[in-house]
Amino acid sequence: MSVAAFMFPLLFVLVLTGIPIAFSLIVVSAGAGLLAFGPNAFGQLYGSFYSAATNFILSAIPMFVLMGAILERSGIAERLFRVMQIWLGRLPGGLAVATIAMGAVFAAAAGVVGAVEVMIGMMAIPAMQRYRYKNSLIAGTICAGGSLGTMIPPSVIAVMYAALAQISVGELLAGMMLPGLLMIVLFIAYLIIQGMIDPPEAVDFVDDVTTMSLRDKLWLTFTSMLPICALIFAVLGSLLAGIASPTEAAAVGAVGALLLCILYGRFSLPMLSESLKITVRISAMILLIVAAGTMFMGTFAANGGSRLIRDAVQAAGFGDAGMIVFFLLIVLLLGFVLDWTANVLICVPLFAPFIRQAGIDPVWFGTMAIIVIQTSYLTPPMASSIFYLKSIAPPDMTYGQMCRGVVPFILLQLATLAIVALFPALATWLPDQIVGF
Amino acid sequence: ADVTWQVPTSVPEGSPFYVNFLERFADNVDLLTSGRVEIEPFGAGVLVPALQVYDGVRDGIIQAGHSTPSYLVNQDPINAVFAGFPGGMGPEAYITWIYEDGGKEALYDLRASEGFKSLVVGIGSSEIMAHSNVPIKTAADLKGMKYRTSGPWAEVMREYFGAVPTVVPPGEIYTLLQRKGVDLIEWGPPSANLPEGFHEAAKYIIVPGVHQPTFLWEVVLKQETWDALDDDLKPLIEKAAEITTMEGLIHFYSADVKAMETYRSGKNEIITLDPAFVTELTDAGVDWITKKAEAEKEAGKPAMDELLTRYKAFEATWSAESKYLIRNQD
Amino acid sequence: MTRLFAIVDGISLVLSRIADGVAIVLVTSMIFEVVARYIFSAPTIWAFDISYMCTGTLFILGAAYALREDAHVRIDFLAEKLPPRLRRGIEGVVFFFLLMPIFAGLSWFAINRALRAWTTAEVEMVSPWAPLMWPFYSLLALGLVALTLQVAVQGLRAFVGQTRSSFDLEA
Ligand code: NA
Ligand code: NA
Repeated sequence: MSVAAFMFPLLFVLVLTGIPIAFSLIVVSAGAGLLAFGPNAFGQLYGSFYSAATNFILSAIPMFVLMGAILERSGIAERLFRVMQIWLGRLPGGLAVATIAMGAVFAAAAGVVGAVEVMIGMMAIPAMQRYRYKNSLIAGTICAGGSLGTMIPPSVIAVMYAALAQISVGELLAGMMLPGLLMIVLFIAYLIIQGMIDPPEAVDFVDDVTTMSLRDKLWLTFTSMLPICALIFAVLGSLLAGIASPTEAAAVGAVGALLLCILYGRFSLPMLSESLKITVRISAMILLIVAAGTMFMGTFAANGGSRLIRDAVQAAGFGDAGMIVFFLLIVLLLGFVLDWTANVLICVPLFAPFIRQAGIDPVWFGTMAIIVIQTSYLTPPMASSIFYLKSIAPPDMTYGQMCRGVVPFILLQLATLAIVALFPALATWLPDQIVGF
Repeated sequence: ADVTWQVPTSVPEGSPFYVNFLERFADNVDLLTSGRVEIEPFGAGVLVPALQVYDGVRDGIIQAGHSTPSYLVNQDPINAVFAGFPGGMGPEAYITWIYEDGGKEALYDLRASEGFKSLVVGIGSSEIMAHSNVPIKTAADLKGMKYRTSGPWAEVMREYFGAVPTVVPPGEIYTLLQRKGVDLIEWGPPSANLPEGFHEAAKYIIVPGVHQPTFLWEVVLKQETWDALDDDLKPLIEKAAEITTMEGLIHFYSADVKAMETYRSGKNEIITLDPAFVTELTDAGVDWITKKAEAEKEAGKPAMDELLTRYKAFEATWSAESKYLIRNQD
Repeated sequence: MTRLFAIVDGISLVLSRIADGVAIVLVTSMIFEVVARYIFSAPTIWAFDISYMCTGTLFILGAAYALREDAHVRIDFLAEKLPPRLRRGIEGVVFFFLLMPIFAGLSWFAINRALRAWTTAEVEMVSPWAPLMWPFYSLLALGLVALTLQVAVQGLRAFVGQTRSSFDLEA
């Protein structure tokens, strides 16, 4: 039995005894590294750390966190949610729907997952708590909304996946579009239906706005919606117009948020300093997990991890369907502990030859693999999106509540996966229509 | 196997360079040594950082590594002569220089001075000069154009043609080209660009690849790792490297013309530059590297200038006397 | 002991304040690049390098203070059921006897890497700007050393029962 096979169980033990995720990963990686590289292990581990520390794509994380921290302090979120209460007051679960919508919008601007989640979480948690939403629903909504960045183009994951699998980036991005929309529709439909059966708002919040005149309502709406629309326009627009690359768009967002803050008269140096502090703390947490995951991947591969999986596939002699299920399960399992970059780096080169050989449509398979990567972020006990949420969650929100909250959304993602599996055209039709110029 | 080397490269697993150079080398070594030496290939960024393969070998983390002198040009410009530079020799002439007329020995001496044993594993075909949102036909068309490129070509474009070299990280090139955030990009030879999908993002394809007429990859080991091998294995591994390079180049030719056919039959417009403009670009590239070599010489490092002189002498002979060759071009 | 803890905490705090500034540099350099490229058609040759170096620096300079603040996420629903003394014991052993030597090894390599970059005047591999790399390597080494110290202190604190982690409140 190879060393690689023992890395996962050991990791689970450490994590479950309450050692921080990043440090658990580092302990296991160092052990496996010493076995593979002897005294040179520290050089190898440092290399993985260096790769993560110099990955330009990860720059989006601090900038989106900063954007969220500033927006949280700008009063914009409050006003925005107040506007929603005016107009969506009769729609039970309106805030949750709005959170998913916001996740989808910023997903279209961001390629990296943790970033959007932390950003919308900082704004939406206080608002939803004010209306006494259950913690589990809050957690589920934010994790699900924040993880949409994987599916909605541009997605750095998709670009990297396509390059590794030697398939067209444009086709994969187009292939993911309909399944991504389907997922958003399912999320929103679920929240509305669930809200009608059991309205999540535990306070009657329509009261305090009934006394407002229509004029005041419209004025508040205008002054609240306009700036946030401008911000979305700046981030998305700069990307779509080719002014900024996906990573640079995050910087546009951070500066935009700062300008809005100044505009609303909420800017102060202590407020900026507080936002920066939060940015550094959360980014350090997320990036240390990414760096540790990179170390884990390197030592896993050096100890024959890829060979372990490859041999298992060959020994099992799967049919096409069996092979697809097996591959997707591996992606799900690795997704528990590895950051998506590491997951894609290990899995795609491993699977691509088998997929090609079996004549399976690689865009269809790629779309399903990316849905599964997104699902693995959400699936307890090891779920990146829950880790990230923990960093901004109020103390009264427990891990158990978070795990319960994501369950319905996991089921909806699996439903999306099943639909794509049964109707491959959902992933393969659009690319034929739109790819090109 | 008696000897197993985990060998990382600087490109992702599955990419044409990985398959065509490193995997092919692993197979050839296995074949020629009857399985006594096993090369276990690894894609970029798994064992060591993608661009630090040479460092990984130097630090003893890996026994051998596969990379290109291109990544060493910033540190020591003499590597530009081996990496393939703007206006330099094309693959036919270059591979002849490397194997028959002193190139390989010069490279191996340079690496020996750094403590490495080098084996040439991979010589490439010419790259596509640009996937472009704008048609480029004359030098004037380049002026002010945002061009994603790097290395010597970036300097030639800025200094001689007034273009605007732009740094774009690999994962974002496609998006920025498609959104017209940059006007042109260059990446690799036709068959390597095909899976990157650039032809779907921009209409025009500009050839020939004056900026990168060929390129070279090598496997490096510490000299003591090499010395520790059984003496009968050394010539077998060297032969495996040589065969890999020959097969790899021919495979690139084959895959490249098929890729060009795919581009031509699709929605792209392929622009073949006028010979006069090609000469203009070539001269600028050669002028750039000549000045670089002179600057090195003035700084007390004459090696690059001496190497370039030998390189140019061979190129002059090749240019003057290779007209007897049938090249089958329209 | 308390004095040692205070010194290490102080170092971590200072580095994380520097990281705050680095975050500003990161955003500024990216916006500068966007404006320079789009409006003035004159992209910089340095923004890309500065951006990735800022991200790496802000993360490693902030990591030690994040540990001090117990901001590195842990899953404690099972661990909460362990007796606090056992849990502190595990924490102490893992941090002091496993993580401290690991981070010491990483720091040692990082320092030597920075020294090599300094003595060989190493420059960026592929950047047209080709900046000297030793400042960046030194910052990474500095962050790792601070993290090593904080990891050691975290382990010692667990042994003497004064970590900042939630489980001490129960103890
Ligand atoms: Na996205
Ligand atoms: Na190139």
